[in-house]
Amino acid sequence: MTSTLRTALLGTAFGLLMAAAGPLLGPLAGPAAAATIKVGVVAPFSGPFALVGKTFKEAIEVYQAQHGDKVGDDTVVFIYKDLDQANPAQSKALSQELIVKEKVGYLAGYYFTPDALAVAPLIDEANIPCVIFNAATSAITEKSPRYVRTSFTLWQNTVPLAEHMAKQGIRKVVSAVSDYGPGIDGETAFKTTFEKNGGTVVDTIRMPLKSTDFAPFMQRIRDSGAEAIYAFLPAGPTTLAFAKAFADNGLKDAGIKFFGPGDLTQEPDLPTLGDAALGITTSFNYSRAHDSALNKTFLAKHKEMFGSTDSVTFSSVGAYDGVHVIYQMIKNTGGKSDGAKAVDSVKGMSWESPRGPLTIDPQSRHVTQTIYLRTVEKVDGKLENVEKVAFEKQPDYGYKVGK
Amino acid sequence: MTMAGRTASRTGVAGAHPPPAARRDLGWIGIPLVAVAGLAAFWLLPDDLALLTRIAASALFVLSLDLVLGYGGIATLGQAAMYGTGAYAAGIAAVNWISDPFALLAVGGLAGGLIALVTGALILHAHGLTLLMLTIAVGQIVQEIANKARDWTGGSDGLSGIDPAPVLGLFRFDLYGRTAFLFALAVLVVALMVARRIVRSPFGLACRGVKEDPLRVSALGGSPKSYLVALYAVAGVFAGVAGALTAVTSGIVGLDSAGFPWSAEALVMLVLGGTGRLYGAVIGTAVFMGIHHILASSDPFHWMGFIGLFLIGIVLFLPGGIASGAGRLSALLSALARPGRDGGRA
Repeated sequence: MTSTLRTALLGTAFGLLMAAAGPLLGPLAGPAAAATIKVGVVAPFSGPFALVGKTFKEAIEVYQAQHGDKVGDDTVVFIYKDLDQANPAQSKALSQELIVKEKVGYLAGYYFTPDALAVAPLIDEANIPCVIFNAATSAITEKSPRYVRTSFTLWQNTVPLAEHMAKQGIRKVVSAVSDYGPGIDGETAFKTTFEKNGGTVVDTIRMPLKSTDFAPFMQRIRDSGAEAIYAFLPAGPTTLAFAKAFADNGLKDAGIKFFGPGDLTQEPDLPTLGDAALGITTSFNYSRAHDSALNKTFLAKHKEMFGSTDSVTFSSVGAYDGVHVIYQMIKNTGGKSDGAKAVDSVKGMSWESPRGPLTIDPQSRHVTQTIYLRTVEKVDGKLENVEKVAFEKQPDYGYKVGK
Repeated sequence: MTMAGRTASRTGVAGAHPPPAARRDLGWIGIPLVAVAGLAAFWLLPDDLALLTRIAASALFVLSLDLVLGYGGIATLGQAAMYGTGAYAAGIAAVNWISDPFALLAVGGLAGGLIALVTGALILHAHGLTLLMLTIAVGQIVQEIANKARDWTGGSDGLSGIDPAPVLGLFRFDLYGRTAFLFALAVLVVALMVARRIVRSPFGLACRGVKEDPLRVSALGGSPKSYLVALYAVAGVFAGVAGALTAVTSGIVGLDSAGFPWSAEALVMLVLGGTGRLYGAVIGTAVFMGIHHILASSDPFHWMGFIGLFLIGIVLFLPGGIASGAGRLSALLSALARPGRDGGRA
């Protein structure tokens, strides 16, 4: 009896699976319509980084709602592929599938550096442009002439910050970074720039990536006699613990100033950081509180479509501007698929985005943009990164600096 | 639970077809079957070769775990240490010195085997949970070394720029992944043959003996630990080759390849397919990754929930894994033919 039941259940399960597979086989059958241009987006849509994928998708939808889904006669369609964590082999497999099976004309997204690097040979062979919405290591765009990046790099954020700190008369600084690629990039960028401007980095602390106990490091910072710290940690629980330890161990009260790239105080994290974040000064390419007509329209449309703007942050504008670049490339090439030509056509292009003025540097194919110095303050009872100083036309200082 | 299911199905098969020789012959069919299924997939799903290549390389990795767990009874959550070492070794060799794909596989296998031999000799005196923790520790150490040695491994940026030469100097790794898949399939089939030879050799049987009853093996004059270390090293070679295969076919190695989640996922795939069967590793990997792929592409936002449901279903209805399904089916058929024997098994 039970065996029969089991067989029946298994049969049902199998049937359901086949039914699930049905829609997947669908697209195989019909050839793609001539006037549809597909853009494949590879990003984390599930797992711990799902929020990033959500901001990408929302920004893309806002852009399409504002500008329509047509460029000329061509309809632009976005296809999403989930890559829940840094996994370059999987990134390559997904991108390959997008190119071979879905016949996408453009690749976009990519949150982690290795995932973006993995597609270099693919986009060169298939001659497809790849617009990076986030992955922030400078070296990426050197690996293929078909990469365009609309986010930021650590060098781009850190250099103006270090110069500003030196100008403020700060002389002794400790750098405290997480011990992984981006952290070390930040440390190098900071040390180089700050020392060139007459300051001294009295201690460079590299903290384990997954550490959440920062008390010993706080003691080390205090003992070093530094006036300020430059900190970089991956956004999320580690940053939260670090900011809290900074306040709890009395460093904040001792008058030590807290500086860092804006990843630390990204908007979705601010409510969890709470008052510990007050007074942290960061440099970044976008703040939700940016005061411009374009940003207000962007936020209003976002609120209209998704009910709130709580998730809007740097990755949102990275995607929003990335879609703008893709639209321009489609327009410039008249919908024809030629990656090298499409990328060439947007080199040097300038436009106004919700974050401020942008230009695609013809050499690095990375956006030259205004970097803002912001301090976390309460605005109408809500924590925001309030912009204080704007450093205009900042290029990617890390381009071809080497690893 | 798994053990009980397996024993039951084994006796079921043996009961239905008494001569053991027939069963031994049946086992061989699996290898050409994998090859034929792979080639069929090659013709039927020409647009999915990237996925199929990853399945083949992952199956090889899960196979290495099956050798350790299914035949040696070594509980491990650190098999990715060997996979990652193999992948990085092949990747570093490819970036700096050699580009022949077969040589790269050899480098990866050698590196995986060496690290397994060294760490195995250190940790295999432990058992159970202690051993489990030690294997996790080894995995984390390997991953941290890969993270620290940025000049060699690229750290968290990943090791890119692996550009292997054409296979046999004739077939280059193309955009559609044809060469990559056939290469991976060939490696998997050869590895299956070797693995089968190993588990049926006196050495393999001794390892199974250690798994069943280490005391008895010592009483017979064997050294359980040295058998296990040797088996661990052999499986390390397989894992290393799998890592190298991934490095060669994908052209990049990331820190995830030595990470804990990858070890754990391999274990899930193995249990899904069935432990101690070799083919279970292939079936489990193909089914898990295939379903993962179908669900993730039809709903990239909520697929994880469905995967969970599917796994729960398998554990409930096929506790011995999918590979045990055939045995259970034939047991079921023979039971139907002779209704009198049905009651006892439920």
